[in-house]
Amino acid sequence: MLILDRILGQASDPALADRLHDLSHAGQVEILSLSGSDIQRHRLRLASDRGTDCAIRLERHQQLRNGSVLMLDAQRAIVVQMQDQQFLSLQPRDTAAALELGYFAGNMHWTVRFAGDTLQIPLNGPETDYLERLAPMLADGRVQRA
Amino acid sequence: MSTALNALPLPQAHPGAARVGIGGPVGSGKTRLLEQLIPRFIARGIELAIITNDLATREDAERVQRSGLIDPQRVIPVETGACPHTAIREDPTLNLQMADALEARFKNLDLILIESGGDNLASTFSLDLVDYWIFVIDVAGGDDIPRKRGPGVLSCDLLVVNKYDLAPYVGVDLPRMRRESAQARDGRPVLFTNCATGDGVDAVVDAISRAVLFDQP
Ligand SMILES: Nc1nc2c(ncn2[C@@H]2O[C@H](COP(=O)(O)OP(=O)(O)O)[C@@H](O)[C@H]2O)c(=O)[nH]1
Ligand SMILES: [Mg+2]
Repeated sequence: MLILDRILGQASDPALADRLHDLSHAGQVEILSLSGSDIQRHRLRLASDRGTDCAIRLERHQQLRNGSVLMLDAQRAIVVQMQDQQFLSLQPRDTAAALELGYFAGNMHWTVRFAGDTLQIPLNGPETDYLERLAPMLADGRVQRA
Repeated sequence: MSTALNALPLPQAHPGAARVGIGGPVGSGKTRLLEQLIPRFIARGIELAIITNDLATREDAERVQRSGLIDPQRVIPVETGACPHTAIREDPTLNLQMADALEARFKNLDLILIESGGDNLASTFSLDLVDYWIFVIDVAGGDDIPRKRGPGVLSCDLLVVNKYDLAPYVGVDLPRMRRESAQARDGRPVLFTNCATGDGVDAVVDAISRAVLFDQP
């Protein structure tokens, strides 16, 4: 197990980018792939893409981001990569349906994003879990996927 | 491994406590689980503190303080008011302040356990507040709970199905509940416990230790 307890910088920092570039040509940059929610954590145990057992342990004021470099020496680097956030986009048929959908999403405590006349829900888990809940509104056309 | 002089580790400041949430419906056994976890962590040499969230009373905190299991000063109540899950999800400020205060007061804390105020199946923990969270349901709540696929059951780091001793009395088919919990969790951990006796609780301690107390001997 490798304890990673510091964010050395971002992969895009000029000071780090050159060294990362050289290491990556030698195939020595390991990736820790994190979901949009896991990236919020301060302690986390997971394997890198090369199978290294990593234990992240950050101080409370520190925050992982896409591209955070957690280890860098002459032999290897370890870099955080945030998985793309998937959204479910929903379009209500009319004002009445919009009210209903907004009420429902709030009741489910889903995080939402407003984009014009669609409601976008970042998916934390399989899309089918969300579609299951929305089934009545999707079935009769009050709401459709955008 | 490199043994260059400049690679020698500097003496480290204490890295701070891991924070672990325990959520789940009222009565599922969260406080009882706490009472089973406390002596086990203390026996492993873990420096521990507890936060309990209660609607409008301090009953859970007082119960744990009186238990004799832990220094009462290490147990702090948060009164959440009307909506207990808000205090662990949308606005965990109060809990964050309490956790920070505990760490300031007890410098060597390794672990803070945070019991939520009792919620419905939709409650989850903010990952701002905790590093890892457990959702406790119980067999007497019905064997259909895993099938209902509530967000708590689906998204927690560890699902604990408590009170398995009650299965014969409430007509619950335990093997089926095991199977359906595993399906709902899609391979992520599920443990069955009897927190009245402590059966199965060691496995919960092991799971927490592996996930967030990895720096402990
Ligand atoms: N038979 C049995 N009773 C339990 C078990 N765990 C908890 N209880 C009882 O269930 C009740 C509710 O437990 P409590 O920990 O207060 O639930 P909480 O509301 O989730 O904190 C108490 O009377 C406990 O003694 C268990 O595994 N088996
Ligand atoms: Mg309780």
